[in-house]
Amino acid sequence: MALARLLFVTGKGGTGKSTVAAALAYALSLGRPTILADLDSRMSASMLLGAPMTGGAGGRAGATLEVVALSAHAELEAFMRRIVPVAAISRRMLKSRTFGYVTAALPGLEAFLMLERLRIMGGDAALEDRYVVVDGPASGSALELLAVARGVKGIAPVGSLNRIAHSVESFLVDPERFGVVLTVTPEELAIREALELSAALREHLGIATVAAIMNRIPAALFSKKELEEIDGLEAHLALAHRRERERSAAGRARKEFLRAGVPMIELEMLYRPAMGRPEIAELGATLAAEMPAR
Amino acid sequence: MNRLELAGCKLAICLGPGGVGKTTISAALAIDGACNGRAVDVMTVDPAPRLLDALGLNADASEPREVALDSIALAAGAARRGRLRALRLDPRSTFDAIVRRYAATPAAAEAIISGRIYANLASAFAGVADYMAMEKLLELAAEPTADFIVLDTPPAAEALDFLDAPRRLLELLGSRAVSLLGTRQGRFGSGVVDLAARAVLSAFDRVTGLKLLGDVQAFVRNFEGMYEGFAERASRARAMLHAESTAVIVVTTAEAGRIAQAGEFIAALRKAELRVRAVIVNRAMADLPNVAEISRAKMPAALKRKLKRNLADYAALKTREAISFETLRAAMPAGAALMLSSELEHEPRTLADLAQIGARIHRGQEPMPLRSE
Repeated sequence: MALARLLFVTGKGGTGKSTVAAALAYALSLGRPTILADLDSRMSASMLLGAPMTGGAGGRAGATLEVVALSAHAELEAFMRRIVPVAAISRRMLKSRTFGYVTAALPGLEAFLMLERLRIMGGDAALEDRYVVVDGPASGSALELLAVARGVKGIAPVGSLNRIAHSVESFLVDPERFGVVLTVTPEELAIREALELSAALREHLGIATVAAIMNRIPAALFSKKELEEIDGLEAHLALAHRRERERSAAGRARKEFLRAGVPMIELEMLYRPAMGRPEIAELGATLAAEMPAR
Repeated sequence: MNRLELAGCKLAICLGPGGVGKTTISAALAIDGACNGRAVDVMTVDPAPRLLDALGLNADASEPREVALDSIALAAGAARRGRLRALRLDPRSTFDAIVRRYAATPAAAEAIISGRIYANLASAFAGVADYMAMEKLLELAAEPTADFIVLDTPPAAEALDFLDAPRRLLELLGSRAVSLLGTRQGRFGSGVVDLAARAVLSAFDRVTGLKLLGDVQAFVRNFEGMYEGFAERASRARAMLHAESTAVIVVTTAEAGRIAQAGEFIAALRKAELRVRAVIVNRAMADLPNVAEISRAKMPAALKRKLKRNLADYAALKTREAISFETLRAAMPAGAALMLSSELEHEPRTLADLAQIGARIHRGQEPMPLRSE
């Protein structure tokens, strides 16, 4: 099946979301123009690509790779400008402290408008044969974010927000336009969390997981027989076992993801003193082979 | 100074970016306290299922529960074991309890709790979980047996999300514009502000279909009279955070992104005039063995090469970590200890694992300086 136009990258904290998002955007940009959208105010994914940001809003990380920063507040401002066509009134509303408190009390509103932005980006990408990769929040917040359209329908039974909620919901369940990519590392907790999130997305929201990307899998080094041959050298043996333990955790996870119907893509652990553009390009090359742009 | 001595502390607060193991560190410090004879309460927020199991907590442990420490050894030099109680913060039920306590009448309390604004406020307003942690903290501290409390904070993007929660919630509840909405028009002689706020909200309602104005008015009306109770408790919580006997501890991992976030936490705490007692780097890599041991050993040359390659791989990661530590060292606040909590061979899953982590932090372990080769 062809890859969704907008890929939303999420996973447990510390599993390398930004690294994977950057590598995936790099991989897709080899085939088609791609936008890497950072929901993280630190722009970690873009930083990994060494993309110079212009004015904090966006920049370029290659001829076909653009990076943009998305902020919930900017989305609220844009939304107000759209629904209140008289500029003076929308400015007035945005400046009003009361309005600020009310939107703070309904934080779902900002998150919801962020989803609406993703919907527009995904739709544009489909029309223009491009891709969008989103460096999303960690698992728990991601589920909250993706579920927010449903809540909005509940509190706004009619009106413009209700209409937007409907189109956001159909966007999220359209595999042509939207897909979730889970990041995971060969650790029990991270694997469990990814499996749970994938099940929750499917059962509660009808959202399919495109793939789980297992990051940091050590390359094979020792055979079982060799591990037994190491005599003494306790600390070295422990280090060798550690490597093999991580490899076998990845092997077990492969079966579990298969059972859950989620394809698992493997990225090798890069034993490097720093992570930067060359490392992202290396991981990107693997992803380009596994998840090619259409 | 590279030991973390919390003997004189009544409260330890663990702050840090999400996913760094704040709950693990909080539980470890609490168990270590109990092994040193203290009566400890640890309050966790959103713990991983395995830690819940280790602490014997289940889904609705919103009141303190005794944790059996029989299997855990006493700390060296400790005369007796103290006790450990653990609880899991449930922001919504804590908030409900407070509303019921402070509302003018039971009917007003139920009106607030069943309202749409409150449902959103209680479940989603960034800061309610933080604020409720503070509330629960005051409740625990008021108990006569309270000796040492360890507080794990909700995951947050910014340190001040937690510390600022009482102020922000009070600002919302006490804001002039919001209270004007709820009261009869012109009562404060400021019809203009009132009208503007109403106009803004009703315009918003018209285009969005949210019908917020009526809800906000009802909410604020019902909250009238509760403000003082909230304000008083918030200022007590603030005083507690700033007390000399409170240890603020920043938890992070050595990952570059987390170190950058921890630096931001430290700067924010300094700005809020809160003294950071320690910065703990969780899941730090253990020291690596010496390569010469491989050369000396008797084994096939091919296997030796593999062992050396494996060592070199982990050494590269260790260098990555050391670079992170240098960044962190530059951001360290004056008088705070920089400490490592080395990773265990497996993810911590039992009380004994947590006790081991706690004892190691107590003893102290400092990061090695970056070697220039």
